[in-house]
Amino acid sequence: MWANPLTFAGFVLVVLIVLTAILVQFLPPITQAIFGHSYTILPYSLVGGVSTPFQPPSLAHPLGTDNLGVDMVSLVMAALPLDLSIGLSITAVALAIGTLLGLVAGYWDTPGTGKGWLSVVILRFTDIFLAFPSLILALAIAVTLGRGIWPTFIAITVTWWPYYVRVVRGEVLSIKHRPYVSAAKAAGLTDTRILFRHIVRNILEPLLVYYTLDVGTVIVTFSTISFIGIALPPTTPEWGSMIQQYQACCYPPYWWTVAAPGLAIFVTVLAFSLLGDGLRDLLDPRSRKVLAGGLARE
Amino acid sequence: MAEPLLEIRDLSVDYHVGAGTFHALRHVSLDLGRGEVVGIVGETGCGKSTLAHAIPRLLPEPPAKVVSGSVTFRGTDLLTLPKWQMPWVRGTGIGMIFQEPINSLNPAYRILDQLSESIRTRRNREAGKERSFQGGAKPFDYSKESKPAASGGWRRSMLPSVPPEVDERRIERAPTSLKQEALEILRLVRINDPETILGLFPHELSGGMRQRVMIAMALSERPTLLIADEPTSALDVTIQAQVLTLMKELLQEIQTSILFISHDLGVIAEVADKVGVMYAGELIEFGPVETIFASSGHPYTRALLRASPKQYKGDGPLPALGGAVPNLSRLPSGCAFHPRCPIAHESCRVPPPPDLQPLAATADHQSACRFPEEAVKLP
Repeated sequence: MWANPLTFAGFVLVVLIVLTAILVQFLPPITQAIFGHSYTILPYSLVGGVSTPFQPPSLAHPLGTDNLGVDMVSLVMAALPLDLSIGLSITAVALAIGTLLGLVAGYWDTPGTGKGWLSVVILRFTDIFLAFPSLILALAIAVTLGRGIWPTFIAITVTWWPYYVRVVRGEVLSIKHRPYVSAAKAAGLTDTRILFRHIVRNILEPLLVYYTLDVGTVIVTFSTISFIGIALPPTTPEWGSMIQQYQACCYPPYWWTVAAPGLAIFVTVLAFSLLGDGLRDLLDPRSRKVLAGGLARE
Repeated sequence: MAEPLLEIRDLSVDYHVGAGTFHALRHVSLDLGRGEVVGIVGETGCGKSTLAHAIPRLLPEPPAKVVSGSVTFRGTDLLTLPKWQMPWVRGTGIGMIFQEPINSLNPAYRILDQLSESIRTRRNREAGKERSFQGGAKPFDYSKESKPAASGGWRRSMLPSVPPEVDERRIERAPTSLKQEALEILRLVRINDPETILGLFPHELSGGMRQRVMIAMALSERPTLLIADEPTSALDVTIQAQVLTLMKELLQEIQTSILFISHDLGVIAEVADKVGVMYAGELIEFGPVETIFASSGHPYTRALLRASPKQYKGDGPLPALGGAVPNLSRLPSGCAFHPRCPIAHESCRVPPPPDLQPLAATADHQSACRFPEEAVKLP
């Protein structure tokens, strides 16, 4: 733990972020009565009310207030549950699809056999997706499907899984010729059982690393799409759309309105990258860092 | 004699690689009866392992390709069986022990998990829950008579290094009967303190221990035929002796047929009932152990026997055989051994390569030499 302070910092940050995302949802909303109707300005807020607009960062409002006088810390935190769950779930779904296809493409890759053709089909299909710049493709799909969280979710997932097919296939190819796989075959296990019990277990570590590293990247991609304004209705708090709205209305000169969501994205992505890098060093036997660290300690 | 358990006829296997086609196995025919232990000896690259892997169809295809022949196991030709049915044969029908115990256990699972997987496979097949080859057959039941022989000195040296913290909870989770059986089978292969071993990962065991676990895994499925592909070659000499002693003890306890593959004549002599000698992908001599060792009818076997050290120091240099094993992609015509043979005749160059012929002395003894009478007279 102390041998690698950056990993530990990443771990602490990720835990804090996840805890905040859960706890934030127990905070009261800010509502405002307009023409007799009660409107929710912010679903969750630390400060419980609206104050003077455009206050610069201070002790009371560490990240200042926006054009309506809403506390920027509250705004950023209100967007956290959505951004975090999007990052975690898109990566998970894409990883699941990519892993499944990659396992099949890697294990049954003998050309000429029936299942070998399946592998060829999967790989060429994957190549089609990899041939397009992923962000452009995601944008195109998001625009086609219309505005909202689910279209964006689908758009990013569709562009994200092909990478995992490649990664998983590579891992399977390197593992399936290990003697213990032959031993499992000789013990009378079926191919499916060998694949899902013996091979999957041995690629879990790299998959965990990829997952952790990619959560941050997915959050950035999602923010990018909503920054362009195709992801979400403007009332939903989300970091990317917040940056877009505030740079339209308030920046310049009120730089903190744009800096606050940007900082949130930065910290979240940094936390997951640090954790992912650390996990890779810990879990990957080929990584020299662990070895060097171990020798240094002895 | 009743129908043999395993009947290999005219089996040929080629490897197609960039450099050409290698005839790794050429027209091998072999019978293995129930309860018999047949040893296969030969140099590196003579096709022993190819033969071992070809029987349960574990050869990597491609590059390997079975060109001709049949492998009849319990009356069914395995080579014509659809590939997806092969897992039913493996394990409970044909068990296998591999050469590299170091890598043959999955590093991610504890010994208990891997052992119970084999035990569960066998139980499911016996209970009919899983498809199996010709129904679940029970060739032997060792569970009643698994009394370890009187403790030898070597067993004490096998004390495993036990790490201080072994996760007990993990062990408890498996059903008791599975764990009981796993313990029993580990005791059968003479593992000290099997309770601890069950909770360990493969990398925490020594090479000899791992090979014992591999043997235990193969035995736990109670195969009708056990193929041991150089089970002792990757181990160092002392461990090799221990594992061999174990295999010999097991041979008496479990009544199973074994195909024992080794490059070590001494090992074969200790274990096998019958020996097959292989050279350049061919079976060149086959017969009872005593006959082969006493009066071999093939010059290659003679040279092999002469080249094995008999005494200790002071024997002088070992009489080596001149020349080298032929390239399997460019074999000499006729008898593959003729360029190195001390008694080669002109007619030995003439194709086709000679087949196994019974010798006059004993019908069991077969040699592929065209001049066995001359071969017997060789030193």
